[in-house]
Amino acid sequence: MAEPATDLTFDSAALLASEEHEVTIVGRSPWYLAWRRLRRNYLALASLGLFFVIVIACALAPVYAHHVAHTGPNDVHVGEKVRVDGKLKDVIGGGSFYDVNTGKFVVKAPTYLGPTWWHAHGRFVLGTDNLGRDVAVRVLYGGRNSLMIGIGSALICTFVALTLALLAGYYRGGCDWLISRFFDIIWAFPVLLLAIAISSALAINGFHHFGINIEPGSLWLPTLVISYVLIPYIGRPIRGQILSLREKEFIEAAIGQGAGPLRVMFSDLLPNIVSTVLVFFTLIIAANILTEAGLSYLGAGVRLPDPSWGNLIASGQDQIETAPWLSLIPGIAIVLTVLSLNIFGDGLRDALDPRAKVRIER
Amino acid sequence: MMVAAYGVAANKSSSAPNKAYKKVGTLRAVLDTIDFLDPQQAYTGQSWWAMWNVYETLLTYKHVDGPAGYQLVPGLAQSMPKISSNGRVYKFTLRPGLKYSNGKKVQASDFKWAIKRGFLATGQGVGFYTDIAGAKAFAAHPTKGGNISGIVVNNKKRTITVKLTKPRGDFLTILALLFAAPVPSSTSTQILNGKIPGTGPYRFSSFDANRGFTMVRNKYFKPTKYIPRGNPDKVDVSFVSDANSATQRVINGQADYSNGAIPPDRIANAKGKGHLVLRDAANTYYFWMNTREAPFNKLKVRQAVNYAIDRSALNRIVWGGLGRATQNVLPPTYPSYTKLKLYSHNVSKAKQLINQAGAKGAKVTVWTRQVSDAIDAAQYYTSVLNNIGLDAKLNILPRATYYSTIGNVATHAQTGWARWLEDYPHPLDWFDVLLNGNRITNTDNNNYAWYSSAKTNKEIEGLKKAQVLTPAVNKRWATVEKQIMQQAPWAPWSNRVFPEFFSKKMGCIHIQRLYGVDLMRLCRK
Amino acid sequence: MTAFIMRRLIGMVAVLFAVSVLVFIVFILLPGGDPAERMAGKNPTPENIHNIREKWGFDKPFYVQYARMMQKAANGLTPGPHSEYDILRSFDTRQDVVHEIVKGIPATMSLCIGAAIIWLFFGIVVGVISAVTAGTVSDRLITILALVGISMPVFWLGIVMRYFFAETNTWFPDGGYVPLTTDPAQWFYHLILPWLCLAVLFIGFYGRVLRSNMLDSMGEDYVRTARAKGLPPRAVLQRHVLRNSLIPIVTLFGLDFAAVLGGGAILTETVFDLKGVGWYAAQSVGGLDLPPIMGVTLYGAFFIVFFSAVVDFLYAYLDPRVRPA
Repeated sequence: MAEPATDLTFDSAALLASEEHEVTIVGRSPWYLAWRRLRRNYLALASLGLFFVIVIACALAPVYAHHVAHTGPNDVHVGEKVRVDGKLKDVIGGGSFYDVNTGKFVVKAPTYLGPTWWHAHGRFVLGTDNLGRDVAVRVLYGGRNSLMIGIGSALICTFVALTLALLAGYYRGGCDWLISRFFDIIWAFPVLLLAIAISSALAINGFHHFGINIEPGSLWLPTLVISYVLIPYIGRPIRGQILSLREKEFIEAAIGQGAGPLRVMFSDLLPNIVSTVLVFFTLIIAANILTEAGLSYLGAGVRLPDPSWGNLIASGQDQIETAPWLSLIPGIAIVLTVLSLNIFGDGLRDALDPRAKVRIER
Repeated sequence: MMVAAYGVAANKSSSAPNKAYKKVGTLRAVLDTIDFLDPQQAYTGQSWWAMWNVYETLLTYKHVDGPAGYQLVPGLAQSMPKISSNGRVYKFTLRPGLKYSNGKKVQASDFKWAIKRGFLATGQGVGFYTDIAGAKAFAAHPTKGGNISGIVVNNKKRTITVKLTKPRGDFLTILALLFAAPVPSSTSTQILNGKIPGTGPYRFSSFDANRGFTMVRNKYFKPTKYIPRGNPDKVDVSFVSDANSATQRVINGQADYSNGAIPPDRIANAKGKGHLVLRDAANTYYFWMNTREAPFNKLKVRQAVNYAIDRSALNRIVWGGLGRATQNVLPPTYPSYTKLKLYSHNVSKAKQLINQAGAKGAKVTVWTRQVSDAIDAAQYYTSVLNNIGLDAKLNILPRATYYSTIGNVATHAQTGWARWLEDYPHPLDWFDVLLNGNRITNTDNNNYAWYSSAKTNKEIEGLKKAQVLTPAVNKRWATVEKQIMQQAPWAPWSNRVFPEFFSKKMGCIHIQRLYGVDLMRLCRK
Repeated sequence: MTAFIMRRLIGMVAVLFAVSVLVFIVFILLPGGDPAERMAGKNPTPENIHNIREKWGFDKPFYVQYARMMQKAANGLTPGPHSEYDILRSFDTRQDVVHEIVKGIPATMSLCIGAAIIWLFFGIVVGVISAVTAGTVSDRLITILALVGISMPVFWLGIVMRYFFAETNTWFPDGGYVPLTTDPAQWFYHLILPWLCLAVLFIGFYGRVLRSNMLDSMGEDYVRTARAKGLPPRAVLQRHVLRNSLIPIVTLFGLDFAAVLGGGAILTETVFDLKGVGWYAAQSVGGLDLPPIMGVTLYGAFFIVFFSAVVDFLYAYLDPRVRPA
């Protein structure tokens, strides 16, 4: 190389500037800048916090069940009595009965034990459902199942979409054509129907092929079914980004220098799309939680008696008059979880995208 | 003996059909579902509710309340049949001048065509008629031109003679099933919902499988001693499967009557805003236990289950209390009914029996179908099994495939939910179909417990010959029932009481024992 | 242009074919019970089952069954009488599948078109307002509301709406569908709650997409130039920003509309008892009834593929940069 035109380098310029202004200018990576922007977004941070609180609470469901409520999520307590504030109350009382004297049935509605909050020493904190089960325990276990499925399927979905997009974007040509058609077909498929169908079919015997053994009640079934629903949703945009990155000179240079496909994909392409992927991942978790709720509501997701927020809403529908909390509470849980993810995802996108003109700051 | 306990606003003249009909106009009804409106196909209570006013059979039931509604009377036949001394030959004569709703004459050969059509169209009820001579051979290779030798008809003399291969005490009731309703000989073997003409007071004028159907008056119908003219001019039926919605429609005034279940917690609310009538129907809800599959092949395990279930609590959960706890096979409507009290609610005894049988920790799959009451009952049942020491989990199957799956020996189903609504009022409809070891089949089996005991099998076969249900015969049935329940292939838990919900403006509510709410006799206040 | 259209058409057919084959394979492989046994009902004799198997062709190899099924589906679309066995029929109820789908279309169309108009209109309004007032309290409020809207499970919203507006207070009818031809006023009245329920989900989403597109556009050079030239802000908004920001909305709308029209409104239809295509699909799918599933899948896939092509075409028309050379 020729001699440098001046002996003023970036470092020396910084040194000079700092001497002049008594301020140290330090070069920052885009990640640090993003983190700083995110840090100032209190709403997004609060949402992330809320999400973590929900996740931890649901993860601790077995602890709650065992030590606080003293019952499992599927244990029926109808016919039992609970001591609330010292008074004995029926878990499920009332109901119609046959009056031997008149020879007729007396028609009365059943009464359900409402939320005891803390008056029954941790039992039936949120009341009972129509089968005499502890609602609080079921909501927590339900959250556990819904979150496991939501996060698990999001992981699988993102991983598969990312892989396919990388392959399509790197190899282009025939490979790209094939993967794009694959995305098209999944996109055209009424996936909710397929999810219901597969769930119903596998409900009887589970899945025992190709060396994989999945029992009928396993959470893997809804997880796998949901994970493939949104693959094209993120696969296509990422593929688009990779295709345009592919044209850039630094990729050509890397390939020209003899870098193999894996090297290019991991060291050059991947880091440039990580921010997009991260944002998508957050939003996909939210979307999958809603999809799982919908499937479970229709009876094709988590199978009864195991709880999930979706099937709790379905089970509570018939009691909407006398025990509205049965359907309202799981719904609110879903809204809070998904909302927190959406707000955080928004904040994340704003933070990672330096071109955003207006961000929710302050 | 007959338990007549339901709150019905019946007037004193409940035994005679109305002489002068009261104007109703269009009756708007809501049903949860039906299967078909084709007489040789339909096999649900809801379908039959409508169809018995459209299709008549040789013998029929009276439009009266209470147990008298079980009495068979002549329908299309002039009189009760002549039965041979060996109980195998039945001779009928048709009434003269019978016409279908399209004006065509009813002929004796139409009855034969109806039975043949059942086999040709693979109808659901053909199993009842296989004891007619020649029927089994016909069923093997059914053709339009083929013959069932056991049915001999003479159109000129209007006679129908039916020969059986062996005597059956319930054959008259089988002939009163809608499967045996005559249809014009030109009727094709395709399923024709709502298009087949009948001889009853009404005919179907439209049918939409997912949405509903309508019935209008049959202008060729002439009232008889037993079948009156109906009050409604038109019956407009909509299908609404959501119980809540159906109830709300009546409350809102969009419908006059709903036959669907009322969610238990809406009952008190509904009572104030409409007219709730409770109907006793002959039904039993039970959990079957497969006597061929472990752990239910052990008597102690089956007994343990019977001790563990809190029947009154279960009735409270599933029906809101509108059901009677039971340990019997037969419902209380049968003269042979003697209330069994073999198993008290005793959870610790149940646990003990499980331990004694060495079945602790045994893996069990509980089967049920995707209907909300079945799911609730099965969830309770699963929790109970887990509580007494088994390792149970629940498997919910779609409604349409449930019975054929648990009735298939290859499924090896251990235990699950079931219920039986009587097809016709005879103990054979229960014991022969559900608990006779000789009638176990490998597919589409109805004996879900796969229960077979040489003693009770023999007794059931012997009782088939009894033509009349005398007190002596009833005593034998009661003994059979007790012997079976001591072996506990089932854990029966409820005789359900059906809520029928009417708008406040409806009156003259009469319940026919077999067919339910008598739509013909409804009136407006 | 014609070459473009031809290629898209061929692509559409290919995708439909692939979808139908996939559905068929999935269902033949999945255990769903012997269709002959299902059709035989409650007390069949072995002869019954054997006859059914022969008449309906369940004993033939699977590719023959597939071909026959496709032919039956096509037969269902052509007018004129067909023999019983030449039409796609449900295993459980033996109804004509194509006929049932056609009967469900009015309810589905009423629901989707009405909801689409509402969500498009309000989505645009919400997007424009929040973009113009970006960074202020009202923007944040609208954003939060929009986010809440897309965070609610649509069936839960339906249940809550029914509870408050149709059951506790009977201001609205509690579900059900009245055909437009029977009673237009009742048709409208019955659809208000379902429309709102379905639209809420999309309003939030579209509002936010439009907002972010508009903000991006507003930062573009050409907008700055237009402002510098003295064009009033409103004209800038309408003539430049909005037009460009609406283009991606068109794409989204096309696909979303196709999805709900093709039976994607299953949950709303189920909660409000609107017996449309989505409701019919949910019924049959739960019962693993292959012919209706096949019928509904093809119906849904057709709409998605068709609208995809329409949207691509529109996109090319609106954005000259995208047109094929």
